[in-house]
Amino acid sequence: MVERGAILAVSLLLASCVQPGPTDSAAARGAAAADGTAAAAATPANPLRNVYFGDLHLHTRNSFDAYVFNVRASPEDAYAYAKGQTIKHAMGFDLRLSHAPLDFLAVTDHAEYLGVVQAIDTPGTTYSKLPYARDLFSNERAGILAAFARFAESLSSGKRLPELSDLSATRSAWQETLRSAERNNEPGKFTAFIGYEFTSMPELRNLHRNVIFSSDRAPAMPYSALESQNPEDLWRWMEQRRAEGMEVLSIPHNGNGSDGTMFERTLWNGQPIDRAYAELRSRNEPLVEITQAKGQSETMPLLSPNDELAGFELMTSYIGVSKQITKFEGGYARDALKRGMEIEREIGANPYKLGFVAGSDSHNSAGSYEEDQYFSKVGALDGSPDRRGAVPPADYKSWDEFYAAGKTVPVSSTWGSAGLTGIWAEQNTRESLFAALRRKETFATTGPRIRVRLFGGYELDGVNLATDDGVRRAYENAVPMGGDLVGKPGHKPQFVVIAMRDIHSAPLQRIQMVKGWLDASGKAHEKVFDVVCSDGGKVDATTQRCPDNGATVDLNTCEIARDKGAGQLHSGWSDPEFEPGQQAFYYARVIENPTCRWSTWDAVRAGVAPNPRLPKTIQERAYTSPIWFVPTKHVD
Amino acid sequence: MSTDEFNERAERGAKAMLTRAMREPLLQFLSIALVLFVANQLIHGSSVQISTELITISRGRVNQLAESYRLLTGRLPSRAELQALVDDFADEEIAYREAIAMGLDADDTIVRRRMRQKLEFLAEEAEASEEPTDEQLAGWLAEHAADYRLPERISFRQVMASADVHGARMNEEAAALLKQLRSGADASRLGDPSMLPSTLPSTTHQGVTALFGETFADAIFAHTGEGWFGPIVTPLGAHLISVLKREPARTMELAEIRGKLRSDWIEARRRDQREQFLARLRQRYSVAVEWPEMYLAQPAASDVSKIRHPLDTIHTSGE
Repeated sequence: MVERGAILAVSLLLASCVQPGPTDSAAARGAAAADGTAAAAATPANPLRNVYFGDLHLHTRNSFDAYVFNVRASPEDAYAYAKGQTIKHAMGFDLRLSHAPLDFLAVTDHAEYLGVVQAIDTPGTTYSKLPYARDLFSNERAGILAAFARFAESLSSGKRLPELSDLSATRSAWQETLRSAERNNEPGKFTAFIGYEFTSMPELRNLHRNVIFSSDRAPAMPYSALESQNPEDLWRWMEQRRAEGMEVLSIPHNGNGSDGTMFERTLWNGQPIDRAYAELRSRNEPLVEITQAKGQSETMPLLSPNDELAGFELMTSYIGVSKQITKFEGGYARDALKRGMEIEREIGANPYKLGFVAGSDSHNSAGSYEEDQYFSKVGALDGSPDRRGAVPPADYKSWDEFYAAGKTVPVSSTWGSAGLTGIWAEQNTRESLFAALRRKETFATTGPRIRVRLFGGYELDGVNLATDDGVRRAYENAVPMGGDLVGKPGHKPQFVVIAMRDIHSAPLQRIQMVKGWLDASGKAHEKVFDVVCSDGGKVDATTQRCPDNGATVDLNTCEIARDKGAGQLHSGWSDPEFEPGQQAFYYARVIENPTCRWSTWDAVRAGVAPNPRLPKTIQERAYTSPIWFVPTKHVD
Repeated sequence: MSTDEFNERAERGAKAMLTRAMREPLLQFLSIALVLFVANQLIHGSSVQISTELITISRGRVNQLAESYRLLTGRLPSRAELQALVDDFADEEIAYREAIAMGLDADDTIVRRRMRQKLEFLAEEAEASEEPTDEQLAGWLAEHAADYRLPERISFRQVMASADVHGARMNEEAAALLKQLRSGADASRLGDPSMLPSTLPSTTHQGVTALFGETFADAIFAHTGEGWFGPIVTPLGAHLISVLKREPARTMELAEIRGKLRSDWIEARRRDQREQFLARLRQRYSVAVEWPEMYLAQPAASDVSKIRHPLDTIHTSGE
């Protein structure tokens, strides 16, 4: 009996070895985690709402494409990092947020093959006996890529690899996801959302979504793209979960890599969108992730030729392969907002009434949010400046020599540093933040913690959003970002917007308003208006643009001009082209002064010239969720 | 450490692991066969009596094969099923012995890594299963007080002369504001309003830094004295401050953080066990490294103890 007991015990020992220590050790990392920067749990709810910054899109070693690039940091590590502690990068160096912890985080590992690659790397598991297990963890790049390609093919086809039909590893990793979110959720101080990524990419067209749960109530298993690649099936599954009392929403991302399929005019089966679809979709998908490491999906120059700032951090290829996107309509959020109005005109419901959020999509358990601290997106893949095309490889003395030899830099050179979501909510709890996500009182930033508020309404003269009284009046007389502003006969809507710079980033250059509207024939149009300029500049009434404020960047040091730009911008605005009968949307875009892109920072630190084929500077920005103007029925 | 001592430790460790591992769903895809012989070798030496030609599979072993089957399927195997398991075990034992004899385990990274993992795991688990007492937790807290400190917090009001509004005249404006504040003017009516809070409640240095920058946070935490002071300049403007309340840093009480202390204590205990065990093993060996020429020229690492794989030759006295 003793022998049997002991043997059984040791056989179980092997099992418990499958998940090695980091979960425990992260928990033991000192008491600092118990006390973030936010005010204590006792802080009362603020009816005027506070801003909270966080990341709704982050991967850990449990994602197949993180583990294979040496990422070993766990969900527990992800929370430790978000709360300001130090964790390790896949290449061994330390990662720590440089200025402030995050207020919230959702760990969103790929549901497909969740936890499986780690199981393959664990001797003794049946997974580890796969013929390609050895290749996956060899030192041969070709072998790794060939083995890895099996996963990509599976996701492209939506068919589960037959040899990986055992879901135990996924069940176990999902439990780890739930447990770590529960352990790290600290109402009043830090919100940990349970979530995962639904990785649908039919024929490699990106239809990825993050699925976020509102509370600790989560299903036994995530619904993955290996169940169905059709997002409509995901939403139906979500509806069933909602009926069981699990509130949940999905957030699409990287429409820029969808080849025009993220925001289509047709259903999965090719039929035109109908009202049932529009309602199903908008009930489950009120938001879109507009910017992240793999570029922004707001708009691009071919879609918005009159928007001079549309060329920011573009990714114009498929995800994971070098194939070029050919269809941009249907891939970007601004275009989707326009389409949504066009479709609503025809069928009576808008499938694309989307608020904005942002994320990192980092696969390091740690988002790289700052250009001057950039450390990669996917572990060892782009974990050093030469691996991400910011510094020439050691064999080449200069970029000229490198490009003359016909070499190209990896696609990671086009990745940007991560985005953050800003949420206006009463307090830092799951309930409060999730309710704000639902009502779209959210904004997206490309990394800096720019704060921005936008209200649209009537009787807003003299409202100053820098004061509590002003905010109170705005809530009384206007709708915040994400809301519907209903037309009022005889009145022109007023907007009021305020933005403050991130003290650790650059001053602000201007605030713009992006308008989309529907003409009498039912066709949507767009226009960008500058609303308020820094440095005393005045918006030109003809061009609707601010004068150049002359802010410069020293490309040898990345120093920025200290005397240009604003700490805070605030303005009322009304649409000079307003037509009371036209349906429209308006969202604010806040623009920073130019700063060095991460690739330039890498080059400056290495003492080499920045890559001539990459942008040297960028203008970081924030985007508010839109306000939709809804004309009253009887227009005079 | 004697063999007996090791076996005893291993058995205690194994029991501890049973409870822990029962919760582990990944159990299901373990190779039971691998487990059986490895476990047996590790804990008891071989239960299989091997001579040059005879392999005896003990009753205990057969029972145990049957029990493993029951755990997987929910019922005991039939005689025929058990016969197949026993045959497989015998084949495996033979193959294992032959493979060991041929030295096939020696250069296999996975086998080596696995053996090391198991050894370390046994070492750390052996004694870590016990629950700490309150005295032990209090002792731990006293020893590591610095790790369980609540940082200092500060509450303050601030009035700003905005750089956007006043430009180069910002400091003059701030001086004028300070004069008014000191003579009792209503702070809520003074200064340039901003999205910064006019009153910040109970916030840490890190929290103040996030909003106002580090220079500002340093200055305000360093300030002593009553009433309005300043200005402290940030990229946003010149700020005048009145500290409302300070909450000094303090060490948390046992009752506030018992759960965390417990898990930290157990984790540390595990780590200590592993390190001590490995250190004892280390004493039984001398390690001599034959450095390739190109590395000999490079300086050796100074503090070997901090490096997991020592870069220097180590000579310790062997037993």
